[in-house]
Amino acid sequence: MTAHIEILNVSKRYGALTVLDGLSLSIKANEFMVFLGPSGCGKSTLLRMIAGLESVDEGTISINGQRIDTLPPGKRDIAMVFQSYALYPHMTVADNMAFGLRNINMPADVISARVAEAARMLEITHLLERKPGQLSGGQRQRVAIGRAIVKEPKAFLFDEPLSNLDAALRVRTRVELAQLRNRVRSTMVFVTHDQIEAMTLADRIVVMNNRKIEQIGTPMEIYSQPASRFVATFVGSPTMNFLRVSLSNQNGFARATLPDGTELQTSIPLESIDGSEHSIGIRAEAIKRANGAAATTTGKVDVVERLGDRTLLYTRLREGSIIVAEDIGNSRVAIGDEIALSLDGMRAHLFDSSGRAWHNQEASHG
Amino acid sequence: MSSVSSGMIGRSTGDRIVLALTIGMAIVMMAPIAWVVALSLKDNKELMTDMNSVFHAPYTIQNYINILATSSVFRWILNSVIVSGVLTILTLVLSSLAGYGFARLNFPFRNALFVLVLLGLAVPEQAVLIARHQLFSWLKFHNTYHGLILPGLAAPFGVFLMTQYFRAIPRELDEAALLDNASRFKIFWKVLLPLTLPAQATLGIFTFLSSWNDYFWPLISGTKKEMYTLTIGIASTQTNFAQSEGLGFLMSQAVFAGAPILILYLFFQKYIVTAVSGAAVR
Repeated sequence: MTAHIEILNVSKRYGALTVLDGLSLSIKANEFMVFLGPSGCGKSTLLRMIAGLESVDEGTISINGQRIDTLPPGKRDIAMVFQSYALYPHMTVADNMAFGLRNINMPADVISARVAEAARMLEITHLLERKPGQLSGGQRQRVAIGRAIVKEPKAFLFDEPLSNLDAALRVRTRVELAQLRNRVRSTMVFVTHDQIEAMTLADRIVVMNNRKIEQIGTPMEIYSQPASRFVATFVGSPTMNFLRVSLSNQNGFARATLPDGTELQTSIPLESIDGSEHSIGIRAEAIKRANGAAATTTGKVDVVERLGDRTLLYTRLREGSIIVAEDIGNSRVAIGDEIALSLDGMRAHLFDSSGRAWHNQEASHG
Repeated sequence: MSSVSSGMIGRSTGDRIVLALTIGMAIVMMAPIAWVVALSLKDNKELMTDMNSVFHAPYTIQNYINILATSSVFRWILNSVIVSGVLTILTLVLSSLAGYGFARLNFPFRNALFVLVLLGLAVPEQAVLIARHQLFSWLKFHNTYHGLILPGLAAPFGVFLMTQYFRAIPRELDEAALLDNASRFKIFWKVLLPLTLPAQATLGIFTFLSSWNDYFWPLISGTKKEMYTLTIGIASTQTNFAQSEGLGFLMSQAVFAGAPILILYLFFQKYIVTAVSGAAVR
């Protein structure tokens, strides 16, 4: 049994402080949903409200049509993996995993079988008699996941479970989580502030900011059609370049003029755009080094970041703004070089002063 | 292995000074105890004539045989064991429950009540002694075990210690247990309480020691000889029999009274040192 989670007009307040404001969201059965956002955006609060660890001030939360926000946490048939793992330090790994099952008076042989199966799946069988203090961070992480798996819940909730791991282990565990997801078909809700975790694990991402949802979409929708300037800034590395532009009409489509006079043609219908002040957003991969006629502008290189497979060039344009361009891995560009750049207007986005976004038609259809 | 890392060779001058001072302090501390033990092993008449005889043979265990044969020491020890043991257990139970309540439960006037408990630390026993004596006299609690035990149960330090300890336990453990379908009592009993064992050991040891060594209240409440605790019993022999029965006998009773505490210390040495050093760090 898996969970279709329906969140309807949910609000949360701590005294005068509103943490979530009238938020609605539908998480499909078997979906891997990631809540992504900066610290303090309310994503963990929302997860804890689904878990029952925070009360719901307004609105409802339902699983498979049954309202659960009035039930105590243990009656919601969900399991949670905490950021700190929250393993019981005085119990063995096996006891940690079995604790929840014993509390519902499950027969001992069923508990043993479930613990053994989860331990085998997570390759922690040899750790069952150890205590959490005798485990590494990665092993504790597996035990925490194992404790969730044995309950065979309708939904798994993960509260930044990778943030306490070192960089290498985080990557490995991320891959293992993706593999685990294929074996344990269940609804999973994952909270993170790490866009790479969100992009690599999610079926859909909920980008949250400032107590509300900015955008819901698949990872590529979020990346290629950010609904707002905040989403465009928060997702993607390096951060999207933003330049103030003035717009003109070119056969019904917006033509953007950069501060240095460079003109970029877009396929965004001009009549769809409103507002007075606009910026163009363009990712580094749409700004390449160019020669001759392909060049749209020039600039002086301030910083060179060599990432191996590609090189990022922090380039100061003539009018003073800095944009990040991309070059090949073994680029010979050095700091101080004058380089010509080609900006691909067809891969750019336009934003008004409120942060609202318009996308090229190709991107919208892609 | 390099010789530098072992023995005195690798020690700095500062380390040596500290070591010498530590040894000196240990001698100062140990000397009175050694003196008491030595006196207890000497014949009373020999000590009356020559105090220096303590430094040479013959030694005897006759004083200890006399304790076992004649005095009420065993009854007093039993009284002390009952009073200190029951008081320690009840203090641990009450302090743990109160500590959990203050640390984890939301109830009206929680902070005000906690401050009230802490104020108990500032009230000296002498300030309430007469009122308590009158109350216990009216209740006919004097010369009973509960009369000796009850006043010690008001243990603000224990409540404070356990509250702080429960507060230091991450709330995620409560939350994980809630999601594991555990009741609030089960969370307290199965998840949190076992994690407070170091604090329980510390509190238990200090409660037992202070109750065992307590002199003031047992002197007032236990006026009949059969209800004396060990401290009161020993003191009564000093008053009545010290001159006639001799210094050696008196010292043997002191050793007898101190031995249980020494044994307790040896068993729980690790927790006591941790408790004291922890308190120092805080």
